[in-house]
Amino acid sequence: MNDRPILSVTGLGARVAEEDSDILKGVDLAIRPGEIHAIMGPNGSGKSTLAKVIAGHPGYEATTGSVVFQGENLLEMEPDERAQAGVFIAFQYPVAIPGVSIANFLRTALQARLENGDELDLFDFQELLMERMELLHMEPSFAQRAVNDGFSGGEKKRNEILQMAVLKPSLAVMDETDSGLDIDALKVVAHGVNTLKAENPAMSVLLITHYQRMLNYITPDVVHVMVKGRIVESGGPEVATGLEERGYEEYRRARVV
Amino acid sequence: MTRMAPPRERAVRALNRDAVLETGLADPAWLKARREEAWDVYMATPLPSTRSEEWRYTDVARMLPLDRLEPNLEGADGGPIPDALLHSMAQDRTSAGRVVDVDGSVVSAEMDPELTAKGVVLCSLREAARSGDPVVESLLATRAVPASDGKFPALNAALWTDGVFLRVPRDVRLEEPIRLSRWVSRPGTATFSRILIVAEELSQVSFVDEVMSPDFGSTSLVSTAVELFSRGGAHVQYVSLQRMGRGGFYLASQRTLAERDSTLDTLNVALGGSIGRVDLNARLLGPGANSDMLGLYFGDDDQHFDFNTSQDHVAPDAHSDLLYKGALDGSARGVFRGVIRVHEGAQRTDAYQTNRNLILSDDAIATSLPNLEIGADDVRCSHGATVGQLDAESLFYLMSRGMDRAQAERLVVLGFLGEVLKRLPLGGVTEKVIEAIKAKLRQVRE
Repeated sequence: MNDRPILSVTGLGARVAEEDSDILKGVDLAIRPGEIHAIMGPNGSGKSTLAKVIAGHPGYEATTGSVVFQGENLLEMEPDERAQAGVFIAFQYPVAIPGVSIANFLRTALQARLENGDELDLFDFQELLMERMELLHMEPSFAQRAVNDGFSGGEKKRNEILQMAVLKPSLAVMDETDSGLDIDALKVVAHGVNTLKAENPAMSVLLITHYQRMLNYITPDVVHVMVKGRIVESGGPEVATGLEERGYEEYRRARVV
Repeated sequence: MTRMAPPRERAVRALNRDAVLETGLADPAWLKARREEAWDVYMATPLPSTRSEEWRYTDVARMLPLDRLEPNLEGADGGPIPDALLHSMAQDRTSAGRVVDVDGSVVSAEMDPELTAKGVVLCSLREAARSGDPVVESLLATRAVPASDGKFPALNAALWTDGVFLRVPRDVRLEEPIRLSRWVSRPGTATFSRILIVAEELSQVSFVDEVMSPDFGSTSLVSTAVELFSRGGAHVQYVSLQRMGRGGFYLASQRTLAERDSTLDTLNVALGGSIGRVDLNARLLGPGANSDMLGLYFGDDDQHFDFNTSQDHVAPDAHSDLLYKGALDGSARGVFRGVIRVHEGAQRTDAYQTNRNLILSDDAIATSLPNLEIGADDVRCSHGATVGQLDAESLFYLMSRGMDRAQAERLVVLGFLGEVLKRLPLGGVTEKVIEAIKAKLRQVRE
């Protein structure tokens, strides 16, 4: 594997826009091409804030440090520029876009990646969409439904995975994609991630999760523990297993700085 | 040797009794009388003022220069059909029949000959009235949109020049829509048209009424009275596509009369013109009657759209469902005023009314006034109205997939308005409206 990180987070501090105190207090993280990293941590530790800052959510602002993606300063890019550069965030609570079908949504997202004046070939797109849905064992009718409109939690997550499959990112950040899912839906999501990873081994994945159970289905290369806005421990998959047994309590007690 | 006729200075016409008489010159006596009575009503009725609830937000005295408008009495010059209208007609998919109307006169009316053989009548309303069709005599400006309805229905009943008469006999069901393609060319004029559709028992028909014009330097009025009758078990769809140029003032009075077990659905689309005012009254006259009432408007610059709707549940066990959605940009104004009236004895009425507005700029305004008047005790009625802005979370979500802000906004607006079209999917209409919305969004957003 290439040693140059695809994503380097250095000393990152961040807060909710216009609030005083930082939620992230100096996060360091380096992900290399093809690596799967997991960030685990209790509620309120800042895991999801990290995902939102990487995505460029306007409600969050970086206060210190840097986020470099493939050599570019991500923090200076608009959300759409980040997406076009190859960053994909599977959101914890994706919003509904009434009246816009998943197919239309994805077609527009792909069209946006083309040079001005180039038109996406609709036949090619349809073929790609069908192929991607088949890969993920999804019914073709799913793509005709309005984006997340009236979706169950599981359907929303499937939709995120489908988007990821069509947009083919080089870095996929899964923000608590496992939360609120029953075991079957969890398996569908994990199957999707594993399938896409097998198809494109160079894709890097950052899994953000509260629970260890997701890691029973997706095996990470590196596991980080985040507590109170900092990464307090990093290691192999055994870190997650240890957490499952002992919980976050010892980190809270021992590592509060 | 032929003698050249001397060049003749035509006196400029105005909206007056002379114009009424001139319009009705070749009419049968009953119609002449009906026009003159209508003119009397017009003269006796004061212009609606903003002090009245129904005209509070549309100051017609200021917006409509009635004393300067010249009635369009002569119709088309006989020239070719304008390219813009031809282009729009070419976008339509298959039709069962087509009427083309230029400057208030029907220039052609064609229909599938098989339908003629089945007894379907599609023709110029003026011809139908002059030929002595008893259905026209009994239903024109009598039960649906009579002069007594108000100042503007009276003006239309006095001065209408042409329009469409469509009658579908019992048990005849048209699979494809009938299309009316209208063009108004002259600035500073007033065009008065009427549409009379009678669907007999168990028949079925869809009708698309499209109005286009160039941009006008001075206000041109297009007044349309739409009278729709669905007899027992019939199924009627009426779509109005208002795509006039700027300077156009679109004024429509529409009434639907749905008898027992019939369905009478309407869709009003307002995209063009400078000012649009639609008065729509749906009357549910028999048990089992059903009306879906859909509306879609998208205003920019200083466009002004005002919809005044009412759902009259006269009979018990009827259903009506209204959904009007609008997007407003620039300093556009949208007004929706709707009332569900459940008449005494109209038990088990099932009636809904929803108006949703999406505001795209700081200066656009939406006013929504839903209302209920309930005179029976066993009914299910609800109404709701919302005025909202583009949701920042939605835009961020789309941008996180690679769309820039303008593309994201376009998609949200299209989805928002497109929901209305999905409720009445009619060949040609959906595509045309979406394309027109897209063109408008491109103009606004780029």
